[in-house]
Amino acid sequence: MHSEFHGQLITLLPRLRVQALALARNRAAAEDLVQDAVANALAAQDSFTPGTNFAAWMHRILRNRFISTLRKQRDTTDIEDLPASLFAVSATHEDRLVLKELGRAVNRLPVDQREALFMVVLQGMSYEEVAGTTGCAVGTAKSRVFRARRQLQSWLMGEERAGTRVAEPARDRQEAKAARHDRAAAIA
Amino acid sequence: MTGQPAGMEREADPSRDAERVAEAAGAFDLWLHLSLHLLYDSVTREKVPAELLRLIERDRGRRQS
Repeated sequence: MHSEFHGQLITLLPRLRVQALALARNRAAAEDLVQDAVANALAAQDSFTPGTNFAAWMHRILRNRFISTLRKQRDTTDIEDLPASLFAVSATHEDRLVLKELGRAVNRLPVDQREALFMVVLQGMSYEEVAGTTGCAVGTAKSRVFRARRQLQSWLMGEERAGTRVAEPARDRQEAKAARHDRAAAIA
Repeated sequence: MTGQPAGMEREADPSRDAERVAEAAGAFDLWLHLSLHLLYDSVTREKVPAELLRLIERDRGRRQS
């Protein structure tokens, strides 16, 4: 049983690292978060019921650890990181600009929306699983993902919607304008 | 030009507007899905820190002994 538990944990690690990034936004903080969550999971492994959803159990631990860390260190997420894939040589300059803007926009989402969006899109979790993991109603999970998508669309497509438009920093305005133009052409 | 009586071209069609919004949202959601994977899948392909694996293996060994 223990061997299976450890195997499941190792298999889940890559996904946990992405989810930690969704919560912490900062690579160093995300690595610390995963490390702490793994330590907590190992200490609490006897409370896991074999045959139940291990990923959901582990995501709950990660989430609880994040909340508890956040309470202690409110300043750890000041510096936001974007994934290294932005610098991949295979991406064109325009693609990199668009992805950079998307990465920044994702980091601007409220954490509950970003968390739910990552769970559904990147982890392939159902709304029921998101609800179970984050302790909210299924309708709330759906609403968070919906609002995250529409907020990103509003920011990235430059749609003027009352109450949703957020001013871009002056230094990024020109770059964002060019990226929006490229993205609109790509989607059209 | 459109075969409609003059002035009809600009008449609002709420159902068509709703369709257009839904289509745009659908296209954006598809683009978003692909782009998020493009952005973050690289993280899942990164090597897991050895320290983390050692932590798990150490616990596995301790429990099995």
